[in-house]
Amino acid sequence: MDTLVEMIAEMREQDALARVKQLLDDHTDPTTILDDCRAAMEIVGKQFEHGEYFLPELILAGDLLKQISDLVKPHMHHAREIQKHGKVLIGTVKGDIHDIGKDLVVFMLDVNGFEVHDLGVDVPPQKFVQKIAEVKPDVVALSGFLTVTFAAMKQTIDAIRAAGLRDQIKIMIGGGTIDDHVRVFAGADAFGKDAMAAVALAQQWTGQN
Amino acid sequence: MDGTKLKSPAELLAERTARVQAAYELRVPDRVPIALNFGYMLARLGGITNQELERNPVKAQELLEHCALRFEPDIISGLGFLPHASIALGDRQTKWAGYGLDANGTFQYVEDEYMKAEEYDAFLDDPTDFTLRTFLPRAFSELEGLASLPRLPIMLLGYTTIRSLRAFSAPPVIAALEALIKAGKEVDQLGAIARVNSKRMQDLGFPNAFGTSSLITAPFDFMSDTLRGMRGIMLDMFRRPEKLLAAMQKVIPLVVEFAVSAAKRTGIPYCSIPLHRGSDGFMSIKQFETFYWQSFKAMILGLIEGGVIPTVFYEGVYDQRLSYLRELPKGKTIGRFDRSDMFKVKEVVGDVMCIQGGFPVSLLQGGTREQIREHTQKMCAVVGKGGGFIMGPSTTISESDPELVKIWVDATREYGVYS
Repeated sequence: MDTLVEMIAEMREQDALARVKQLLDDHTDPTTILDDCRAAMEIVGKQFEHGEYFLPELILAGDLLKQISDLVKPHMHHAREIQKHGKVLIGTVKGDIHDIGKDLVVFMLDVNGFEVHDLGVDVPPQKFVQKIAEVKPDVVALSGFLTVTFAAMKQTIDAIRAAGLRDQIKIMIGGGTIDDHVRVFAGADAFGKDAMAAVALAQQWTGQN
Repeated sequence: MDGTKLKSPAELLAERTARVQAAYELRVPDRVPIALNFGYMLARLGGITNQELERNPVKAQELLEHCALRFEPDIISGLGFLPHASIALGDRQTKWAGYGLDANGTFQYVEDEYMKAEEYDAFLDDPTDFTLRTFLPRAFSELEGLASLPRLPIMLLGYTTIRSLRAFSAPPVIAALEALIKAGKEVDQLGAIARVNSKRMQDLGFPNAFGTSSLITAPFDFMSDTLRGMRGIMLDMFRRPEKLLAAMQKVIPLVVEFAVSAAKRTGIPYCSIPLHRGSDGFMSIKQFETFYWQSFKAMILGLIEGGVIPTVFYEGVYDQRLSYLRELPKGKTIGRFDRSDMFKVKEVVGDVMCIQGGFPVSLLQGGTREQIREHTQKMCAVVGKGGGFIMGPSTTISESDPELVKIWVDATREYGVYS
């Protein structure tokens, strides 16, 4: 019989949900179901990295995980403390309201064990500065799709530097039109072309790879 | 330099028209033509807000003429869209400077599920009714009243059903109809101004023959952009693929007929088609073929058959799927490119379509003079080889540095000459 991990990793939504319900009816420890979800997402992430899976799979997997977690939650009597690997502060910079790419990065960082603080979209530089001082992230991730964001990213990083916080953090930028010219212009440490690149950078910067 | 200062506007017009026409037809012009879309840069250069640029097409034209004479491109455009009708209808799908954004904001599209997953059957059974009573009231606040209209085909019963038309006397319905009339009049006025502006450009020596008479989207983007949203449609690819494919089939004749009739009415054969979710990175090649390419190709063939010349903007990156573009009829479409590898584009589809664009706007915002000249030289030499190429930016130059744009344009005039 196929495992739950396979069902999730192969995008068999109905099969996976039926299996979860059956496991819960059989009084299976709910934490093992969540462990299976994490194992499946690791496969999905690898498939994405290898160019086998694309955004439709990431979006479906994310939706499926949410449905499973809703099913499992009522059965969790004592939440097991999950060890987080590092903190990432993320937001779409001022002047831009695009959130799809950012949300995928948030999702992939989250399933890869990062504590993610999401400031949302159209975030002014001062808001980033304020939040960095407050949560002390290891990594700050700036997202943007429009070309106006090149300047907004630079302003944000300048503001972080002016507040004396630049040396405490690594900054990555990403979004459809972002390339290395923009990284240099904005003064970021790296740019990533997709959600897995963001995970790889965050892992590298927090000493996991 | 090609000594443009010495020529009359009429001579320059003829020269520019011939130059672009040659590139479009995959022939070799005198030099690589240059296309510039200034976007919001006009406001910056003119010292006005983006809001004034969007709202005042007369002022916008004045600034565009200024840029035309300063940069001397062969094809020129300003802002692609204007907010007047959106504002009149209370558009919830768009944000403009001073409408959902501050006075210097730039146009943004607000993606959402304006059509629910369970509404595919309603769309498939009767797209007209879905448009009138579901989509319009949902997408435009001023059109909410349309939701309370009866289904119109009941009027086929003629005089016996006239009394069911009481709905038309309800204040929200009246308000919706008035909003439509108001928006219609605004669009008509803008059209009149646009015709005057287009004539003015022509008189200055800049061709207006390469404008577009309509804008449509690929069937997948039609269902994704304004209806299901990206998240919704990607879940549909797994949960209801047959419905999605059927809906796209329904879209093809609709957009083809729209573009063909616009081309006939205006005498302008070009139809603008910006592609969104077909780019590398969104879906796999297999998904692209099933969900994106087949319906897109059918649409393109329908347009060509109707006498339309599709000007397709391959937004994003198409490096992994360029071979599909080879299936399009030779010389019948124009391909504008964004961040694809332009050298690869030339190699794979250079003999299939005129190639336009691809110069990175990131260089025009933060590059150096040397970097820009070097990249321009390489693009002219490789992508320009044998004609069929128009130099243009990867996307709008709204945020570019005008000095860097000038360096780039001058370098194109220098390196783009065909001997």
